[in-house]
Amino acid sequence: MAPTVTNSLESFAAGAETAVDVAQIERQLAELWQLAAESDTAAVTRACLFNLVAICDTEAARDRATETIRIVTSRHPCRAIVLLAQPAATTDELAASITAHCHLAGGGGKQVCCEQISIHATGRSVAQLAGAVLPLLESDLPTINWWLGDFLETPLLFRRLCGVADRVFFDTSTWPAAPARLVQLAAAMNEQRQCVFCDLSWTRLEFWRRMTAEMFDPPECAAEVSRLQSAEIIYGDGPGAQLRARLYGGWLATQLGWSAPDAVARLTFEQREEPDTSGCGITMVTIRSAAAQFIVRKNYGEQVASTVVHMPDACGLPRKRAFWPTDDAALLSQELDAMRRDSLYARVLALTVELTAAARS
Amino acid sequence: MENITATNPFREGLTTRRVAEPCALVIFGATGDLTGRKLLPAIYNLAHEGLLPAGFAIIGFARRAKSTEQFRAELREAVVAGSRFQPINEAVWNALAQGIYYLPGDYKNPADFATLDQLLQVVDRERGTAGNRLFYMATPPGQFAEIISSLGAAGLNRPTSRLVIEKPFGRSLETARELNRSLTQVFAESQIYRIDHYLGKETVQNILVLRFANEIFEHLWNQKYVDHVQMTVAETLGVEARGGYYDQSGALRDMVQNHMMQLLALVAMEPPTSLEAEVIRDEKVKVLRAIRPIPLEQVSQFAVRGQYMRGSQAGKLVPGYLEEKDVPASSRTETFVAMKLFIDNWRWAGVPFYLRHGKRLPKRAAEIAIQFKSPPAVLFAAECAAPLETNVLVIRLQPDEGISIRMNAKVPGNAVNIQPVKMEFRYGGSFGARSPDAYERLLYDAITADSTLFIRGDEAERSWQIMDSLLTGWQTAPKPFDYEAGTWGPAEAEAFITQDGRQWRRP
Repeated sequence: MAPTVTNSLESFAAGAETAVDVAQIERQLAELWQLAAESDTAAVTRACLFNLVAICDTEAARDRATETIRIVTSRHPCRAIVLLAQPAATTDELAASITAHCHLAGGGGKQVCCEQISIHATGRSVAQLAGAVLPLLESDLPTINWWLGDFLETPLLFRRLCGVADRVFFDTSTWPAAPARLVQLAAAMNEQRQCVFCDLSWTRLEFWRRMTAEMFDPPECAAEVSRLQSAEIIYGDGPGAQLRARLYGGWLATQLGWSAPDAVARLTFEQREEPDTSGCGITMVTIRSAAAQFIVRKNYGEQVASTVVHMPDACGLPRKRAFWPTDDAALLSQELDAMRRDSLYARVLALTVELTAAARS
Repeated sequence: MENITATNPFREGLTTRRVAEPCALVIFGATGDLTGRKLLPAIYNLAHEGLLPAGFAIIGFARRAKSTEQFRAELREAVVAGSRFQPINEAVWNALAQGIYYLPGDYKNPADFATLDQLLQVVDRERGTAGNRLFYMATPPGQFAEIISSLGAAGLNRPTSRLVIEKPFGRSLETARELNRSLTQVFAESQIYRIDHYLGKETVQNILVLRFANEIFEHLWNQKYVDHVQMTVAETLGVEARGGYYDQSGALRDMVQNHMMQLLALVAMEPPTSLEAEVIRDEKVKVLRAIRPIPLEQVSQFAVRGQYMRGSQAGKLVPGYLEEKDVPASSRTETFVAMKLFIDNWRWAGVPFYLRHGKRLPKRAAEIAIQFKSPPAVLFAAECAAPLETNVLVIRLQPDEGISIRMNAKVPGNAVNIQPVKMEFRYGGSFGARSPDAYERLLYDAITADSTLFIRGDEAERSWQIMDSLLTGWQTAPKPFDYEAGTWGPAEAEAFITQDGRQWRRP
């Protein structure tokens, strides 16, 4: 066994990066895990339930991805492959490193570890990224592509990586001018139908959708659904807040069967200057029928939202629910737990696109 | 339960496992140990995971006088001490605490139950619970009958109510039937949720997934390929402070009749046609009905019982059962049971199911081992000095939940040497997520009106019917065999299985 590999076992398992030759990644990983298995002191188990390919366009995004993966792997062990693609760089380089994320397993002192492979491509070497990734994917396990930036900016890489992906995670909150790109997003999703697309911005909305849904659980409120006439959505300043407000409006219209021209007249959106403490951007929603008002609102000074129903004979006292965490790790975990195929998002997106177009015309 | 997404379109696509409607949980015996140690941490954990509806309410009902504020403060302490999410999230707690109430009352007093009814109506209005109620019996079993009767008299047994009761569900077939009669006089069977925390364990639920979501196992899951099945639940603890209770119960009633019979039913049942609660429970009952009755005069051929004596465990001397507090010196209560059951159906004809449970055994372990038959000894017989080991599939429930398969492999080298190797799947190692506590799962199921993991009345009765012949037979039998604490039970238990040409596994 090469002494350099032996020496790097400890630092590898401790989470330090070890530079490796791109062509030798798999072999070096195998040697390290073999050493770990034979080690008397390391006491580690390698675990892997899926491949997670994180695609980043800046060093800050790569660091964020690595930190998120460190957290997520405690609940969802995987082989993580973090790609940093910088085509504008003046040099053409392809460099790789490996590291491990280890967590103590429940009951017993054994550590459960996952490996992270990081590949940094600059200049024309970016074209080789997809080719470098494909042989690194663990066979017989699902592959999830997590785009930390706007995948519409790199269509070639997007298409090649989609070819081997089961799921695509992305976050339209981070896209510049996202509302204008919704048409392209819908087209890309349509083109890559074999993949399940998951917009983490939509995942953030689940709290508000859930709060809304709960207001209509009592039979007397459920009976009012068909009589709902309009909705007012107030949102704040946070990244993606406007888009999420639009998506929320699109969702309401979709679920109530309102067509786009009809919905334009029924939905009003208002932006108010206030910081986004909920991680979602929406601050208040009022849904109205002739006889009732259903309100979900963020409580000022608290990390909770509450619902109030104003309707004769319905329960009127506010019900509170604490905001769910909406950081990347929490959102990724939520989606990895569910591993669902959410056809609703595609329908909501389609109507939101129509709504946006109808509002402009 | 009605599919709520049909009436509430906003429920579509939410990632929550199932829709929990606003619900009022009424805990009888709310000041007792179970509420603080298990129920409230589980409820808080559900709230923390976002699985409880915003309109969820808890009403504590007990004899002790205290205010709602006091009750909330006590429950908060219990949550801080027992939640798997640390530190607790104040916003989650505050939202939950808003719906917590306390009502002091007597279980026999109609006026107190009328007050409860009034409070529930207020909760219905304020929190939108709309008559959806879950009554949880966290009291000693002796108080079940009076509480249930009072609920009925107060008209609180409406169809939208459910009742959760803790074991024991009787102590014989007769008493189980009596309990079922008193329950069904007030509530319909579909409203009764008999809780067995073993069924809330992740690995127990995984038995169905392992069997019916994997093509490779089910074809081998029958008398043609399985030699026998061994189920072991071993405890290192003695009776601790429960000597008085345990002496009235014993190993058979405390563990085998409920938990182990449920495991057996899940392992042996036929594939259900759907995952609906009644369909699964029907299949479990069919298996229990197919278990061959043990004739009274043959009890000793089908079961061995033991009682632990003084011994040492983990280097410490421990007292014998008869030396334990509140245990009579003349007690004949068993602390160890080994038994053999046959299931007389097409799938399992002739396959013995060995069940073993005991206290003060060397190791805490619970497992189900499917022992397969030997392959034909024609190919490697000349090459191997010893017979080939048989394949074993082990479902480990505790500790270190997981599944392992033993298979034979060639030892590297020029000769054909064969050794058994073990392939392991560990929950903790494969899924980073920590499994929710069994109570968390079961409470959530009860809140969402899913009775799949709860025991139906006929299941409990059929299980008692099988146990009754043993209990009756032992009444006239000599006292249980002695075994030293820290060993795997009496020598007679070894003889019991070796006479069949088999051996107990060492978990």
